[in-house]
Amino acid sequence: MEAEDALRRRVVEVLAEEFELDPEKMVPEATLYEDLGLDSLDAVDMVVVLEKTFGMKLTDEEALRSIRTMEDLFQFLLRLQAAER
Amino acid sequence: MRVVVVGSGVSALTAAAILAKNGRQVLLIERQPEFGGALRQFKRKKIAFDVGFHYTGCAGSGEILDLIWSYCAIRPRLRVLPLGSEGHDRFEFTDRTPAVRGYFSYPRLAEELRQHFPAERAGIDTYLAAVRQICADVPFYHPEQPLLPFLRGYKNRPTSLAEFLVRHIGDRYLRAVLAAPGFLYGVPQSQASLEVHALVAHGYYSGAYTLDGGGQSLVDAFLAVLAASGVEMRSGESVEQVLVEGEKVVGVELAGGERVAADQVIYTGHPATLMGRVPASLFRPAYWHRLAGLANSLSLFAVFAEGERELDIHQGPLNYYLLPGSGDILSADPETPRQRRPMMMTGTRTAADELLHQGRNGIILLGLGYWQEVRQFEQSSSGRRPPGYEHYKARVAEEMIGVAEKRWGAVSGTIRPLAVGTPLTFRDELGAPEGCAYGAMHCLGQYNPEVRTRLPGLFLAGQSTVMTGVAGASISGLIAAGEILGLEQLWQDVVRCR
Ligand SMILES: Cc1cc2nc3c(=O)[nH]c(=O)nc-3n(C[C@H](O)[C@H](O)[C@H](O)COP(=O)(O)OP(=O)(O)OC[C@H]3O[C@@H](n4cnc5c(N)ncnc54)[C@H](O)[C@@H]3O)c2cc1C
Repeated sequence: MEAEDALRRRVVEVLAEEFELDPEKMVPEATLYEDLGLDSLDAVDMVVVLEKTFGMKLTDEEALRSIRTMEDLFQFLLRLQAAER
Repeated sequence: MRVVVVGSGVSALTAAAILAKNGRQVLLIERQPEFGGALRQFKRKKIAFDVGFHYTGCAGSGEILDLIWSYCAIRPRLRVLPLGSEGHDRFEFTDRTPAVRGYFSYPRLAEELRQHFPAERAGIDTYLAAVRQICADVPFYHPEQPLLPFLRGYKNRPTSLAEFLVRHIGDRYLRAVLAAPGFLYGVPQSQASLEVHALVAHGYYSGAYTLDGGGQSLVDAFLAVLAASGVEMRSGESVEQVLVEGEKVVGVELAGGERVAADQVIYTGHPATLMGRVPASLFRPAYWHRLAGLANSLSLFAVFAEGERELDIHQGPLNYYLLPGSGDILSADPETPRQRRPMMMTGTRTAADELLHQGRNGIILLGLGYWQEVRQFEQSSSGRRPPGYEHYKARVAEEMIGVAEKRWGAVSGTIRPLAVGTPLTFRDELGAPEGCAYGAMHCLGQYNPEVRTRLPGLFLAGQSTVMTGVAGASISGLIAAGEILGLEQLWQDVVRCR
């Protein structure tokens, strides 16, 4: 649980910084596109930032494409982290 | 409605010509005194030397360069010289004979490889089929396909070329021959992706072309058409700032402080060099970091020389390659000793109508170079280099000439150097960070920037974006123009030139 919280915090922190987002708004149910104002042009930048932050390759295109909310993103990264272990 | 195109390499010339044809007011701005970027030739002892254009794929009838050149109305001004089915590159190894011929034809290449490596038949077929298969979904190779789904759609994660070759090919010499097109996109073998490799290799395996008069003939053809269509062209002026107001491009500022209004700007310099030329807060840090931190392709040492005899590219090989017998043919390690690096020899291409006035025995040697080797001289500028650098340069040239004469002296005769280029030369002459020959690497783990940027009206083009090489850079120019004019309609119009 602690590791999970740490990951959530880290995601919010780096995305807030790299995309100049308001961390307050980055609640689990916030949608990346509508609520946070990211768009398809940001998708690649997000992959680059997350890969660098967590040292993992985000290779599953299908799963990436289905991410809509912050919670989807957390779950995606948690699954990936679990699989790497 | 004015478009400023920054640079005058093949990507900029292509974008400018397409925009002008569609009635846009275009201003082209080049930092160097002469137009043409890497395509520009220079002369020594009446020999015209090409720098960034020795041969290309994709210029056959109905292929993408042919279509672009036809659409831009420069095709009638060019004499495209196909190498024919006997045309080939010659691959030699430091420790193995005989040489392998890399034919510019799938069937001839397959036949040659099977003959040299009979035990590898299945692997050869698998490799060639994979290269073809990857290109089957690429509209630049199959213009009947629409462009937008390819450009905007998700692409599968690239896979490793090295792993692919090890899996399917047992013989390391054969692996080296198959990896050799890496020389044409400048990525160390360990970082090369099968997909990018296929995009480049497929062009050459389908046919190779040179131009009568070399890269300069392409520049001259473009300049003539641009002048005739009223494009304003300024050289010797550097764009230092992209001006932005209310989240929109409004113009550029030149080195002297002059401001030029524009509704759109296409920047064809290296993307990392754009980051110092836009307001600091314009892009989100994620994008800024990504562009500023792009890893660059390998660099080269180039010896421009005079041989005793002319290399006949229509009888003999087009290019002579010497590949290291051990290790990667393109190593990522800047400490790789020179005898373990690849080298290439080629001849100059004199225009038919210049034969009387020009020297014909021009020889160009290209050897793999690393930025780290010349980095200690990075503070110096052209014409004012320290003696240490001059010595280093002379020693490298002497070494390369020694190898070439020993290998190929029978065809070239003695080789006398007239000019030498190093990673520093390429940095300063082409504005290429770290002297990279092919822009930001198109490789595993790196995402090259799109032509579109977040800022409305600001576009990137050039070899670091969509694809490298003359064909890749031309395509990026087409896409940049298309982003302004409407991509799918432009694509249809270009394809209709078949
Ligand atoms: C030695 C060498 C050999 C090569 N051989 C081949 C080959 O045989 N076949 C092949 O297909 N490809 C080859 N290439 C690669 C090919 O030359 C390039 O991919 C292609 O020419 C790049 O075109 P470009 O328009 O992207 O960039 P460039 O031709 O580099 O043009 C960029 C231009 O922008 C200008 N510029 C940059 N910043 C500014 C600014 N701020 N203001 C004003 N102007 C600016 C620069 O001065 C330059 O003229 C070779 C490259 C090298 C270096």
